[in-house]
Amino acid sequence: MRSAVLAISVLLTLTACADEPDSDSSGSATAPITVQIRAEPEEAAVYRSLVTAYEEAGGGEVELVTVGREDHLTRLSTAFASGDAPDVFGINYREYAPFVQRGAVHPIGPLLAQEGLDTADYYEEPLRAFTYDDALQCMPQNISSLVVYWNRGLFEQAGVPAPKAGWTWDDFVATATALTTGGVKGVGIDSSITRMAPFVWSSGGTIVDSDEAPTRTTLHEPGARAALEAVVDLIGTGATPSKEQLAAQGLPEQFMTGKLAMFLSSRVEVPALREQRGLDFDVAALPVMGKPASVLHSDAYCVASSSENRAAAAKFVAYAVGQQGQTVTALGGRTVPSLRSVATSPAFLTPARAPASSQVFLDAIPYLRHTPVTPSWPEVEDVIGTQLQRAFEDGVPLDEVLAEIQKQADPLLQRQ
Amino acid sequence: MIALSVVFLAPLVVMVLGSLQRPLQPPPNGLDLWPDPAEWSNYSTVALFMPLARLLLNSLLLVVVAVPVTVVVTSMAGLAIVTARGRLRRWLIGISVLMLLVPTAALWVPRVVLLRGVGLADTPLTVALLALAGTTPFYVLLFALAYSRIPTSLLEAATLEGLSPYAVWRRVALPLARPAAVAVAALSGLYYWSTFMDPLTLVSSPSNWPVALGLRGLSEMEAALYPIYLAAAVLVTAPALLAFGIAQRSFFSSVERS
Repeated sequence: MRSAVLAISVLLTLTACADEPDSDSSGSATAPITVQIRAEPEEAAVYRSLVTAYEEAGGGEVELVTVGREDHLTRLSTAFASGDAPDVFGINYREYAPFVQRGAVHPIGPLLAQEGLDTADYYEEPLRAFTYDDALQCMPQNISSLVVYWNRGLFEQAGVPAPKAGWTWDDFVATATALTTGGVKGVGIDSSITRMAPFVWSSGGTIVDSDEAPTRTTLHEPGARAALEAVVDLIGTGATPSKEQLAAQGLPEQFMTGKLAMFLSSRVEVPALREQRGLDFDVAALPVMGKPASVLHSDAYCVASSSENRAAAAKFVAYAVGQQGQTVTALGGRTVPSLRSVATSPAFLTPARAPASSQVFLDAIPYLRHTPVTPSWPEVEDVIGTQLQRAFEDGVPLDEVLAEIQKQADPLLQRQ
Repeated sequence: MIALSVVFLAPLVVMVLGSLQRPLQPPPNGLDLWPDPAEWSNYSTVALFMPLARLLLNSLLLVVVAVPVTVVVTSMAGLAIVTARGRLRRWLIGISVLMLLVPTAALWVPRVVLLRGVGLADTPLTVALLALAGTTPFYVLLFALAYSRIPTSLLEAATLEGLSPYAVWRRVALPLARPAAVAVAALSGLYYWSTFMDPLTLVSSPSNWPVALGLRGLSEMEAALYPIYLAAAVLVTAPALLAFGIAQRSFFSSVERS
């Protein structure tokens, strides 16, 4: 992972010479375009139906390239560095800043305004996350948040009450310990900062000194440290899977097989969990340490600055994030729509299909925050994840890894 | 020997058995190997996730073109190194080793820029263009090593007899380096059948991708659909195994004769 991140930053450094077509040539609105999206094989089917729907609705020809998780950024960086970029590409807000910094992204705001799209119809938090240099760079298509997935069957077996909105960290720990019996563990914890961030914020801490222009990490300061300490204590109770169990099977798979009663994730797990016959699951809000908080998960469509068919690219993006496009992706089950009217429609809330409490994702929206948008963030995230894993799985003292995070991550933030 | 074969065959057996499991089952607790009943329909399901026939054809085309070109180019380059004199020879070997040290990631961008410049960046045969550059300097060094065992006097005598450099290569050197040629053909065949990083960065349209890249895409399927991924893996591995089965006799005979 680390080497991939490094390779990508090296590749992006080479992008400086990307050719820039003059701003007047935005091409015909139905010119053929290439769209590159990060998608797993099943998810790719959802995007194929989106493209088919778009073409039937009178859009131009779209060549859809779906690439797997790890290969997406490699292909994208190479394509930009060599001037062969797709017209439209999908990207997570944690990863788009380096592309904007190298001039690879054409700010999408004015393009979408021409298509008659009003950003006021969309949730604000993802729009904020994709705003960089005071301009909306890419158009978010989803607004997911971190929630607790829980197995109803295991809760009933252990005689533990269902999680309630606003439950505290202490309730959460008590629930996890009560659920830990025999072959079942109470809760699975992942060491990545996107999983830990809500607890850090909830207990009044911060990840970095400034969200706009971060210069150093602040995980060692009291608020953040208290949250991480609480997680280490939870792991100390034995209510979480051991290092060997984690190595043998991922958290979602342990949850599917009834070895794990709860785990934290975004909306993305839903289709896989729905496919498990006999698994009765639901979602609940994150437990609260101080004030409620959750972390944004969002992907957006960006238009490449090298695109010669910007009008067609904008038309496609407007369709994909519009009423019809978002309904198609919402029915896939994997995304929480960024368009308010679709998020509150049956296409997303689908009371007949698990999870029954999809509303939880929408209830978290007022408390959503996003991790800093800064070019070196992917590398910083990598450092924090690796170090926290040492504390969570190998029993390295928390202060030692926090000092290591400062030592490795702060120079990365100051580099630009 | 038998124990060793078991070690190397085990992953293949697990792959084939896994491809016959029923999809959409919860992941097993421990090793649940024997499929009951065998789910042959997994093999037809693969086509729903990738255009299998098209990609297999692309890969086949790639191997058929790239392997002979690689053997010809690298065997000629190897001979050039061996027939060069003194300092030039050391230089050529030095350059080959230096090129081996260049990390592949550093070549992605220059390759795309170059191929795009000449308008060859998006065909099923784009990756085969690497064969014109010998695929990797390692093959060139392999040939140089094989030729260096031919007595210099023999090559010099052939030149004195009036043979052109091409005839020396075709009629003297290459026949004497047959094991090296077979080895390079086998290695490069395997390389072009299984490469996914080159087409990922070089080939824009998914319809021109080779089957290894299609398979790579499937590797991120949900755990519950893994039997389908393994079925695809069997379909991609089978042609390579088949080719090995057919070629192994000539491979071993050529190695033993030398």
